[in-house]
Amino acid sequence: MEPTPPKSLWELYRGFLSIGARSFGGVLPLAHRVMVEDRCWVAPGDFAEVLALCQFLPGPNVGNVSVVLGRRWFGPLGSLAAFAGLMALPLVWVFGLALLYADFAANPAVRAVVTGVGIAGGGLFIGTALKLAKPLARKPAGIAIAAACFGVIALGRVSLFAVLPVAVLLGWLAARKDLL
Amino acid sequence: MLQIAFYFALLSLVSVGGIPSVMPEMQRQVVDVQAWMSAAEFTQLFAIAQAAPGPNVLVTALIGWKVAGPAGGLVALAAFCGPAAALSYSVGGFWDRMRDAPWRKTFQRALIPISVGFIVSGGFVLATPHGIDWKNALIAGASAAAIFLTRYNPLWMLAGGGVLGYLLF
Repeated sequence: MEPTPPKSLWELYRGFLSIGARSFGGVLPLAHRVMVEDRCWVAPGDFAEVLALCQFLPGPNVGNVSVVLGRRWFGPLGSLAAFAGLMALPLVWVFGLALLYADFAANPAVRAVVTGVGIAGGGLFIGTALKLAKPLARKPAGIAIAAACFGVIALGRVSLFAVLPVAVLLGWLAARKDLL
Repeated sequence: MLQIAFYFALLSLVSVGGIPSVMPEMQRQVVDVQAWMSAAEFTQLFAIAQAAPGPNVLVTALIGWKVAGPAGGLVALAAFCGPAAALSYSVGGFWDRMRDAPWRKTFQRALIPISVGFIVSGGFVLATPHGIDWKNALIAGASAAAIFLTRYNPLWMLAGGGVLGYLLF
């Protein structure tokens, strides 16, 4: 089916509102479902390309997608509408939860549950990074760079701003020599 | 509040891959350098952001709120998203034109091990709010294995962490 972009700013805002409101446990799958499958705003391949760009750029990935697609359809106002739609309801949710938690934080059982959720969230990061690392399985240079980053940042507690330039330079040299 | 806005705006520009990549730096700054909260509180705020729908950048709003009140929350979120959004806005077209440029592919390959190292670091600092012990190793190991091996919604793994947290802590 031929994709048809949203016809008005309001429709764009509503679409992103529905993505934000329902995206428990990860925004990306829902963004794909709403924009590609339900509303047919963009073609699947087009979505994948925009996403690849947004994963490469700094900032929240789906947030960047909202800015890039909003701009494509309605210029700066489109970017604003899409981004605001994406953030509006989750922001209300998260502040509501935080207020609720502030009331119950003194309760040790509540604190234990929330700490457990946070630690599990940290585990999700580690598992996701391992998925990302699959292409590195046969690349010792890649594994060495990843391990070195972990060593200096997580264990050595060195600032990311100091590590990043060195890491990018090493990565670039390794990639140039086809080691990555 | 100005301090947090300035710092988050800087972080915004290096947050390739989103929040996970800069999580270790954010935690270092907020907990170790500025001492705005303890490592345990940081992990709890992160848990709240994970349990709500929406992008996980919302944790910046919670940190800002904790440090400087509700307005601080909005300022922190805007500071973290603004510079990156401006960049996406301006380079979108340029990047599309560079689609087949060889340096782009080299650069993308160079970034993979770096983001892997950064994201694992982020997970590590979140999962060890009181140092390493068997309890947090069990919870984090279980959720890492679950997301790596299965396709269930991550919310189940967070819920499992909540249950284990209740039983263990």
